[in-house]
Amino acid sequence: MDLSATPTRSNSKTKFSPSKTIAAAQMEFSTPSKPTPRRRSKPMASPPPMSPATPSTVRRSRRLLETPTKDLPETPAKDLAATPVKPKPTPTLKRKRAAPSPKTPSQAEPKRQRRLPKQRAHYRKVVYDGGEFAVGDDVYVKRQEGAESDAEDPEQEECRVCFRTSGGVMVECDACLGGFHLRCVRPPLRRVPEGDWACPYCEAERAGRAIDRPKPPAGKRIRRTAKEKLLSSDLWAARIESLRREPDGAFWAKVRWYIIPEETAAGRQPHNLRRELYRSNDIGDIEMETILRHCFVMSPKEFRDATNEGDDVFYCEYEYDEHWHNFKRLADIDDEPETKEDPSDEPYNADNDYVSDTDEDSEYDEEDEPATRCVARKNQSHGLAANSRTGRIYGLQKIGIRKIPEHVRCHQKTALEKAKATLLLATLPKSLPCRDKEMEEISTFVKDAICNDQCLGRCLYIHGVPGTGKTMSVLAVMRRLRSEFDSGALRPYCFIEINGLKLASPENIYKVIYEQLSGHRVGWKKALHYLTEHFSDGIKIGKQANQPIVLLIDELDLLLTRNQSVLYNILDWPTKPNSNLVIIGIANTMDLPEKLFPRISSRMGIQRLCFGPYNYRQLQEIITSRLKGIDAFEDQAIEFASRKVAAMSGDARRALEICRRAAEFADYRVKQLQQVGQTPSPGGNGAVCMGDIEDAIQEVFQAPHIQVMKNCPKFGKIILAAMVHELYRSGLGEVLFDKLASTVFSWCHANRELLPGYDTLLKICCKLGESKIVLCEEGTKHKLQKLQLNYPSDDVTFALKESPDLPWLSKYL
Amino acid sequence: MAAAAAPVANQAQAVLRGRLCDPAFVHSPLRSSPDTNYSKLKYLVDSSVSEACNNSVLLLGPRGCGKGAVLDMVLEDLKKEHPDAISVIRLNGMLHSDDNCATKEIARQLCLEHQLSFSKMASSDDNTDFMIDMLRECGLAHKTVIFVLEEFDLFAQGKQRLLYSLLDAMQTLTSQAVVIGISCRLDADQLLEKRVRSRFSHRKLLFVPSSLDGIQRLMEHLLMLDKDSSLPKNYVTEYNSRLTSIFGNKKFKGILGSLTDADATTSNILRFLFRVVSDMDMESGLLSMECFTHALSCMQRQPKLDSLQDLSILELYILVCMNRLEDKEQNSYNFNSIMKEYRSIQDAYKTSDKYATTVCFRAFEHLLDRELITFADSKGRNVALEYRPVKLLISSRELAQSLELNTTCPAVLQKLLDRERYM
Repeated sequence: MDLSATPTRSNSKTKFSPSKTIAAAQMEFSTPSKPTPRRRSKPMASPPPMSPATPSTVRRSRRLLETPTKDLPETPAKDLAATPVKPKPTPTLKRKRAAPSPKTPSQAEPKRQRRLPKQRAHYRKVVYDGGEFAVGDDVYVKRQEGAESDAEDPEQEECRVCFRTSGGVMVECDACLGGFHLRCVRPPLRRVPEGDWACPYCEAERAGRAIDRPKPPAGKRIRRTAKEKLLSSDLWAARIESLRREPDGAFWAKVRWYIIPEETAAGRQPHNLRRELYRSNDIGDIEMETILRHCFVMSPKEFRDATNEGDDVFYCEYEYDEHWHNFKRLADIDDEPETKEDPSDEPYNADNDYVSDTDEDSEYDEEDEPATRCVARKNQSHGLAANSRTGRIYGLQKIGIRKIPEHVRCHQKTALEKAKATLLLATLPKSLPCRDKEMEEISTFVKDAICNDQCLGRCLYIHGVPGTGKTMSVLAVMRRLRSEFDSGALRPYCFIEINGLKLASPENIYKVIYEQLSGHRVGWKKALHYLTEHFSDGIKIGKQANQPIVLLIDELDLLLTRNQSVLYNILDWPTKPNSNLVIIGIANTMDLPEKLFPRISSRMGIQRLCFGPYNYRQLQEIITSRLKGIDAFEDQAIEFASRKVAAMSGDARRALEICRRAAEFADYRVKQLQQVGQTPSPGGNGAVCMGDIEDAIQEVFQAPHIQVMKNCPKFGKIILAAMVHELYRSGLGEVLFDKLASTVFSWCHANRELLPGYDTLLKICCKLGESKIVLCEEGTKHKLQKLQLNYPSDDVTFALKESPDLPWLSKYL
Repeated sequence: MAAAAAPVANQAQAVLRGRLCDPAFVHSPLRSSPDTNYSKLKYLVDSSVSEACNNSVLLLGPRGCGKGAVLDMVLEDLKKEHPDAISVIRLNGMLHSDDNCATKEIARQLCLEHQLSFSKMASSDDNTDFMIDMLRECGLAHKTVIFVLEEFDLFAQGKQRLLYSLLDAMQTLTSQAVVIGISCRLDADQLLEKRVRSRFSHRKLLFVPSSLDGIQRLMEHLLMLDKDSSLPKNYVTEYNSRLTSIFGNKKFKGILGSLTDADATTSNILRFLFRVVSDMDMESGLLSMECFTHALSCMQRQPKLDSLQDLSILELYILVCMNRLEDKEQNSYNFNSIMKEYRSIQDAYKTSDKYATTVCFRAFEHLLDRELITFADSKGRNVALEYRPVKLLISSRELAQSLELNTTCPAVLQKLLDRERYM
């Protein structure tokens, strides 16, 4: 067994006192510091971002200094199984440890560490028994020592008919997962079939016929592959979370278990795939000895795209909480909010950092295992409230669903439903058309600001009406820069995103910025003090001492206070030397800088970027780019919608919503037809047509007052008509109720209507006032109440002109 | 016969009252037809549950049209269809229009719904973050969060921070959430601030009072007894045939017409029917036309007119004097000018109803208390009562009506008022 290990993280992320060893660090600077590139990229596993490969910061070299380089030449213990002092291999503990308690081994470990702190080393990658294991890899784990008699591990599967491994292409049955040679199947297959395929035996079973599966030739035992063993729970699968070497030389791995559907509380559900696994939240500590070899657990998308990973491919879409017995979808990586992972955050804290201050040890390990910490805290004080700051992360495990609902997995989406899904505002489009120029500008602005060695404080003001993609463009640029940073082309920087409307008060912005920088929470006054020190006096906060900070303030106009001090303070910082601050402000109004005091506008108004409203071609492009490959919309329907929206506001959100609403109308229509029993004709009925768009536009842009007026009670209509009449006659904007009532009475009298009571009329007026068809004063004013129409009198005339129950009304209008 | 019928009548009355008070029963016919708001709303909410998307809907319409009831039915049905996958957060604009208070309430209800412990001490930032985290987690767990905002227009005040953070979270996260606003203001979506409006998905469902036919159908649905209920068969058939004959009657159409002319909302109809059922003849247990006419007269009470009925003669004098002053286009007058008018009348007609000023003042105060007259303006609170300008709150028409109806009213008063009576 050889060992080529690169020094890596401890799995604790903590702050440490950057006090000593800096000088020493410089000496060790020559040690090659490039982290080994990981062998496979596994988005699902979400490894923490790599530290930049660019000439590194001081801290980085410090880690190298304390890396146990002496490990490398040493030959590690050959016989791990014989190592005397180690706890029982934890895999056997797995079942018992469903609920992590404070007494888990990981809790007890710090004590051992403290005694032999220098000896323990963490690795990102270990070559062990000929296999190369890295953090984030998925592996098979032996269930029990010696429980498996057939130690040989066939990489190659046997055909279920001829029981030989070799001999041409094999195809896998989707039902029993058995392999079949193409030629062994009856009738023989020419090539691998597209889509789902079930072997003749499974199909027969499904049809209810009894059929004998071919028996293996006498004397030959069916050798089970690792996959089969796993699925029959003779093996385990796990994901390596961290690798380390104990002081005694034994290699240990912290792993997160995968679990097969049968082992969950809900059991195998009908929609489970054969190769489906769940990722559990249970973390185990195992010896490297028990690790068998690699397997590949993939997210749905990867699984679909996987072609030749071999037999050890598994599908994993959900996370299973062993404590609460519930499921939760695994979050996609791209959905992770960018702000959460600070790009400049030192991803791999050197484990030796905590040698210096051992008092904090216990805290590190608690952070490793949130559940442990949660339980521990609960014992300390009255339980943690989920909505409080500390409790939030831990209480949320409870929210999972007991059983994965069937409709989610089995439902085949129709074209309309797919269209609805892609038109959703929350779905991130694959590309952002029509904003290339602006994005380029933002990108150069940010790059200029952070790439220069000396970061000049700068400020960019972005304005435009809502729904023109301001925030989205900035975030897309930051995402792109982030990936550039990951690939090492950019200096580390710190990105802070703040939304003015989400702050409780403008002053809170200091608090938020300070918290993002330092991780501490203080009152806003104190935060302002610290921040001013940070930016102008050079007393730096936090560990990202000299990194440039990109501060994005959305809805900037909300920060306006009466004396505009908040905006002044914030915009003043970039002008200070060595502040290293870049501000991007976003707001709707074009002339926000002009509205401010000159001393502020001179600080922010220099560089501006305007996001104009989209014109109809751009809107059309945005919609069609989203709907690419989905045949649900008629072309002129899209054009109609985009022209309509472009004429009104040029708001992309609005255009998307209108299209989605139209798709909903069409979908509703189709579903109603299906309920009746008719199948929609494939051509005209299924797609979104002009009529649907028109309905949607009607709904969005038109107030429903005309319809309500048409459906008013009779006296309501008379009152409205009388009001129009009175207002027209008097030429004033408002009318007294007393006058109105006498008009109504005289009309009713003249047209032989039943006379309403005075109080009834008042009540109807108040009701109309409630729906704001008329504006009125409160009812206690009785006959002195003043009334006013809230809609143009033409609308009233239009609505009441042809009312069937009051034919005489039209002569007064 | 009568003795046996009484418990049956009681039973029937209880059944009918139970129906009238159960919104689910009232609106149950909506379930069957495809074009109602019920099925549209259900489709909207259901699609966001099953297709994992976000939506925001406004339910608009005058009060009493069944917005809340239909929504409750939809939620009830969906909870049955998707157990464990829906959590409903209810907020009311009257109670939670303050942003901090609303986020706290959301956090509280989310905690309650998911059996998490809740802290009253958490700051509003924490609560907002918690809400956003919960939205994400619920989305991952295929659970839908439905926010019901009653009196939606009251949320659309000020900076609308709550709506903004809700709607913004809905368009940036992969969550499944539906925001349902209920409002009787038709222009509720115009009240939204432009950035909030841009994020709002503008689905609107309009609730309007049903037509006359619809109301008649609703009445039949509510009042007709089932054949296979626990009530005796022959009673049910007799009751139903009586009811059908009433429904066919022309007089009944008239009653229905005058009821719906004023207010055709479902809640008004229910109130009316409750009256009708309460007037049921307990001997026979049947409904008669008198029940309906009596109920209608109860619905058409004129409170001001009623309160005019039991005024004393002196108080009527004061009202008539005020009316005369107003007819003389004297815009501003106070107790002293009323007294001057009163004295002049007394001098001219020499009636027996001449009272001292202090007595008149007591009557004047009484009228103020009954809100038949009011102060013309809110200024001058520290001016003595006699000198503050006052206004009449009832029209001369009502005053004349009440004088006619009042049997003890002296003829002089009628005459005094008659002169300027028009029409």
